[in-house]
Amino acid sequence: MAESQGCARIECTGLGKSFPGALRAVTPLDVTFQPGATTALVGPSGCGKSTLLRLIAGLEDPSEGKVLIDDLPPVRQAARGAISVAFQDPSLLPWLTVRANVALARKLARQSPDPTLVDELIGLVGLSGSEKTRPAALSGGMRQRAAIARALATQPRILLLDEPFGAVDELTRRQLARDLPPLWQSRGTTTLLVTHSIHEAVTLADRILVLSPRPARIVADIAVPLPHPRDAHGADFRALLTRTSKALAQGDADNAPMAAQ
Amino acid sequence: MMRVASVGPPLLGGVLLIMGWGALAAVLRGGHLVAGPAEVAGWIAANPGLLGRALGKTLTNATLGFLAGNLVAIALAGVAMIWPRLLNLISGLALVVFCLPLIATGPILRVLMGPGDGPQIVLAALAVYYTTLIPLLTGLRATPAVWLDLVHSYGRGRWSELIHVRARAALPYLFAGLQIAAPAAFLGAMVGEFTGAEQGMGVLTIRFMRALDVPALWAIAVVAAAVSMVVYGAIGAVARMVLHDRPPVILSPPRGKPVSGLSRLFQPALLIAAVLVLWWAGMALPGMNPFFAKSPQDVLAALTTAPQAAATRDTLWTALTETAVFLLPGYVAGLMLGAGLAIALVLVPNLSTLVMPIAVALRSVPIVTTAPLIVLFLGRGALGTISLVAAMVFFPTLVACLHGMRQAPGQILDVFHIYAAGRLRQMAHIRIPAMLPAFFAAARMSVPAAILAVTVVEWLTTGRGLGSLMALSASVSDYNMLWAAVAVVTTISALCYAGVAAIERRILFVYAPEQVRP
Repeated sequence: MAESQGCARIECTGLGKSFPGALRAVTPLDVTFQPGATTALVGPSGCGKSTLLRLIAGLEDPSEGKVLIDDLPPVRQAARGAISVAFQDPSLLPWLTVRANVALARKLARQSPDPTLVDELIGLVGLSGSEKTRPAALSGGMRQRAAIARALATQPRILLLDEPFGAVDELTRRQLARDLPPLWQSRGTTTLLVTHSIHEAVTLADRILVLSPRPARIVADIAVPLPHPRDAHGADFRALLTRTSKALAQGDADNAPMAAQ
Repeated sequence: MMRVASVGPPLLGGVLLIMGWGALAAVLRGGHLVAGPAEVAGWIAANPGLLGRALGKTLTNATLGFLAGNLVAIALAGVAMIWPRLLNLISGLALVVFCLPLIATGPILRVLMGPGDGPQIVLAALAVYYTTLIPLLTGLRATPAVWLDLVHSYGRGRWSELIHVRARAALPYLFAGLQIAAPAAFLGAMVGEFTGAEQGMGVLTIRFMRALDVPALWAIAVVAAAVSMVVYGAIGAVARMVLHDRPPVILSPPRGKPVSGLSRLFQPALLIAAVLVLWWAGMALPGMNPFFAKSPQDVLAALTTAPQAAATRDTLWTALTETAVFLLPGYVAGLMLGAGLAIALVLVPNLSTLVMPIAVALRSVPIVTTAPLIVLFLGRGALGTISLVAAMVFFPTLVACLHGMRQAPGQILDVFHIYAAGRLRQMAHIRIPAMLPAFFAAARMSVPAAILAVTVVEWLTTGRGLGSLMALSASVSDYNMLWAAVAVVTTISALCYAGVAAIERRILFVYAPEQVRP
């Protein structure tokens, strides 16, 4: 299978998800993710952010509505190797080395082996020298970085990142925040980033969707018109932090009566 | 994963075991019960040719059965992963095959396959099929969901799951299954030889038992045990090389998705139908002599409409009650002793490092092959039979319970340490509840093993119960009775297994709810 090319547009129409015996996870959502843009999904714990990401990845079937990626369902796009996911749990296979774990993504996506790219990505995430190490010998942050490298190895058109920097140390996190956006911008990757960190969202994304507590609905759609790399001390940056933070608090307050019911 | 420190404790344990055996032989000298290590070594040295030929034959048959049974198990496990709807049917059929009384299937295979090595190989294959399939299915299904999500996120399906993730993830479980399967194959081959083979360790056992040749019987049991332990250890060594770790201790067969309503009735009905169809189809194969090959209709007629049906039912019932009298106390004693010693070993941890390697090794001994010795030692009455059944249940229970207690959550133990709670309190509040899933898994898996043990002793020595009835029916060519006994024993074995599983579910619902809830 040839490597997937071009930017991808993701359209969610009336997308909702309920689990048997549980609260509705996602209320019907209508949202479009523009090709090549990076969108951060921010919201309180358990609000359904990861469920939304899984729906877009085709790992869950919607209870209502649909997701289309360039007019095709996610499963079809996944079969073309267009999607990569970095899960919250690094999900490295324990019997494979770091290099083999990263290379596995290309194998699964039916892409030809590319050892140079694999080693470049391992270097990008700061794991040079650990190529032959097995996951058990890595720290939590190192595992998560290996998982990010794996997600990038297929040069996907759609990159779905589920709290990928949760266990990464502050210095590496800053370095990744500097190096990753140019990478996915140069490739036109449509990126969705689930995060708890408002700072991370403003640093990385072109757009921030603030979600309410469960069931997830969009309470704010905030554009981030700042160039990369971003100055975290700049007035615009700080204004966006405040705006996102207020939207998050507002969403929480709006949902409080619903939660009480 | 089971961690056993190093070579030191097992070596010391082995030396202590041989010293204890020597001391026992010295105490009971002249009683014609126990041959000591020196006597056994002398007998082996004096009969290398006889023993070598017999061992070679049994090992060859066991190896062929081991390969065949494992290949079938691996293929079926793969099928169950690709078509998950077949999982319940495949594990159900596996259980039924595991519950077949080997000592009745032996004579039946003998008349169907004639002289030669066929029955020994088939019995060895039947003995390993379940011990490999169940751990393998457990391993194939014990894969974290997120690994499978990774495969699915690239649009790949069950084949890719199996190839890239499940197969490799299941390797430790496969090795654990193969470790248990090795002695089981040896046991299957020996039981096959009991049924009229010309050569092999089983043939020698029967011959020396009749001649009451105590040193020879001890020599055969010791050689069978040693070979099993060596193969068990060798597979463990290969596993460590391949996996960089020891194989895990397998406790429990995989559970299908919880079923409700109609499918709760449908699944057993489907299984019974599948068993009956396979049985009927097997008997209808060309070349099957209806004199030997009895179909389900024949057995049903023999138990209901035939002129001697009432007498057949009476005979079976009498045999069944005679067997139950030995089976139940032995089974319960084995479980209690296994769990009791496990608790004692955890309370005295230093003892555990010494006893654990011996227990793991002894678990690999084909206990049934030592039946003549135990009966020789404890007599042909109740005590000998009950002891053998208890021994058959004891070792797997001990190993499982120790493993279970080691699974006690470390953080909760830390809480108890902070409050300076003593070992007994930890035992009562944390370790015993943590042990329960393992205990019940062992109890469930021990049901068919206990039935095998009791029927073999009845057959070889006591002349009572179902084992003796099956042997007698085979020798007088009463194939209706023999097949009826097979059907009854298999059904009872499967029902007892299901009964223990039902109690287990209730207990686990309280103590390990994650294992019984979806």
